[in-house]
Amino acid sequence: MSGLRGVIEFLTASGGMHGWAMATAAVVSAAAAVVGSLLVVRRMSLIGDAISHAVLPGIVVGVLLGGRPGGPLATLGAVAAALLTVWLAELLRGKARLSEDAAAGVVFTTLFAAGVALLSAAASRVDVDPGCVLYGMLELVPFDTVELAWLEVPRAFLGGLLVLAGVLAVLWLSWRQQLATAFDADAAAVVGLPAKAMTTGLLCATAVVTVASFEAVGAVIVVAMLVVPAATAELLVATLPRLILVAVGLAVASACSGYAVAWQAETNAAGMIAVMLGVGYAAAVLIAPDGMLARGTASLRLAWRVVCEDVLAEAWRAEEVGAALPASPRGGLAGMLAAWWLTRRGRLLPGGRLSEQGRGQAEMVVRSHRLWETWLGRHVRLPLDHLHPPAEWIEHYLGAEMRQRLEAEMAHTPAGSVAADPHGSTIPPER
Amino acid sequence: MTMLTAVADLLGLSSNTLLVAVAMAAVGMAAGVVGCFSVLRRRALIGDAAAHATLPGVALAFVITGSRGLPVLLIGAVVSAVASMGLLVLLRRFTRTRDDAATAIVIGVSFGMGVALISGLVARGVPGSGGLERFLLGSTASLSAADARLLVIVSLLSTGLVAAFVKEATVVSFDPGFAAAAGWPVWWIDFALVAMTAVMVVAGLPAAGAVLVTALVVIPPVAARQWTDRVGVMLVLAGAFGLVSAVAGVAASAVVPGLATGPMVVLAAAALFAVSLVCAPSRGLLAMALRPRMPLAPPERGGP
Repeated sequence: MSGLRGVIEFLTASGGMHGWAMATAAVVSAAAAVVGSLLVVRRMSLIGDAISHAVLPGIVVGVLLGGRPGGPLATLGAVAAALLTVWLAELLRGKARLSEDAAAGVVFTTLFAAGVALLSAAASRVDVDPGCVLYGMLELVPFDTVELAWLEVPRAFLGGLLVLAGVLAVLWLSWRQQLATAFDADAAAVVGLPAKAMTTGLLCATAVVTVASFEAVGAVIVVAMLVVPAATAELLVATLPRLILVAVGLAVASACSGYAVAWQAETNAAGMIAVMLGVGYAAAVLIAPDGMLARGTASLRLAWRVVCEDVLAEAWRAEEVGAALPASPRGGLAGMLAAWWLTRRGRLLPGGRLSEQGRGQAEMVVRSHRLWETWLGRHVRLPLDHLHPPAEWIEHYLGAEMRQRLEAEMAHTPAGSVAADPHGSTIPPER
Repeated sequence: MTMLTAVADLLGLSSNTLLVAVAMAAVGMAAGVVGCFSVLRRRALIGDAAAHATLPGVALAFVITGSRGLPVLLIGAVVSAVASMGLLVLLRRFTRTRDDAATAIVIGVSFGMGVALISGLVARGVPGSGGLERFLLGSTASLSAADARLLVIVSLLSTGLVAAFVKEATVVSFDPGFAAAAGWPVWWIDFALVAMTAVMVVAGLPAAGAVLVTALVVIPPVAARQWTDRVGVMLVLAGAFGLVSAVAGVAASAVVPGLATGPMVVLAAAALFAVSLVCAPSRGLLAMALRPRMPLAPPERGGP
């Protein structure tokens, strides 16, 4: 329990500073993850990236007009900047015939540069640190609070909570439409859904989320919070509701762990949160149901089965012609390993002869091989010396049913039933 | 070098300032030229992933070598930029993640990693680590004459390479299918183009910083594209636009104290683009508005 007590102490120390900062990061990340899920499944990640950069001048103008970095004026400015981005990108695509990525590249770098320049020019009048633009000031969030009934709540937390609630409410109300549009925006437009308005709404939501996370993580790292949780969840689950749930879970977990690690390592919390999100994604790439580990073990297992079956079949063929077993099995080291393992499992007897059990398995491999050679010889009319290599591959993949069908089909051809393959070797019967 | 000193005296600048300005001009030019092919190949935002990915490379190079010399840091940046490109290829090959999301992941996570590394170094008071922050938004203030010479050499080499292989790069950019069918090593040409983009992104770091340097390889080519339909002309114009915007931006940030170089370079390039968008002879908005509307041609008789 001392671990739990340690966690509680960490969260409540110095007026709950860490607790509030962590809660702010978690709330903001969760909102970003919800919006990002829609961006990712609609293949709009890069537009989300562009918007999160491009809202900067809007935020700065909002602040210059007397707002706060996360306040309503800044939000308004950011939404205006987001709409401007979309309009400009459309204009460049339509009038200047730029490709989509080039248009986005021109617009968001220009707007971001304008934002930074504006910020530097008005540095004396605005209390926004240019560093804050790039990586946020999560550590300072707990010190800017508002009185809420009996509790001192950080402004950024409250703002994040409101945005999260708003995003969830809109998602709840428009769920069926969102689902249809996310699945196929063109089809949704055809059946009369306001797909274009929904796309614009999604981009505005991206802008709002960026403003809400501005103080916590800045306008650049928010890209990671938008895209990575959803992209990770996409590897793990298959339906949109689950994708959103998993993404939110990942976002909250990364926010909390990233903040804690950053505090331990004395570094920037927003950067560490992004790193944690990246770690989560890398883990998902490895352990997802069709991830690299699963695929790697599947192909290793297949390779192992092929080696084992080759060793058994070789022993069977040696037995068939009464020849002595070769000194070492085929397949080099893997073959020797397979022979050892097969002996342990009772398929081979000590000395390399087949056990009854091993003989059964070997016979089915040889039967598959010879049936296939016969079929190829009769139907594809390959020359005799071309029959062996394909059969050597396919012998590991033919099941009992396939063998029976091959045999049955060939029994009806003029050449008659199959007792021997084209090389004259007997085809063992099915067991 | 004596001529340079003479010119510097004439302009009332220190020869170092002039050399840095020359270097920025060369970098801007080369970035514009190299960027043409990533714009034509519709991979404008690949450079953005490479740009953000330079940051952890810079920080790690500093941690490993303890040197804050520009060549060392830039080598770290090139390594991590190329590694991020490799990572993008791997993600495309081995995961279900789509290209756009993969690019955004590389951008966000690598930038976060760079920020965490640099902040950690600064918080520990590692001497020299504060200077790493200039790679975020760009600053030419601390460039030495040797750094400037290095940047000039890299830029001229890149420009020369593009000039030598214009034909290959053009064919691959416009019709990779044809190039492959004609037996060209499309994969290698593509790889070389992407790698050169990464190198120019890195060379542009002192001028524009990791967040904005992608503009150097996107905006000048896009502006040049407005004026012409010929690759050769586009390359020359993009080089010129890049050169002008880099010099203008560096000069502007030298005049206004406390202003990072990157935003000014980008805004200068954007201004050139805006002029191109409006004034270009056939594609420009003005030309389009003034052009008399053609009546629909009557259908031709006796077609096939």
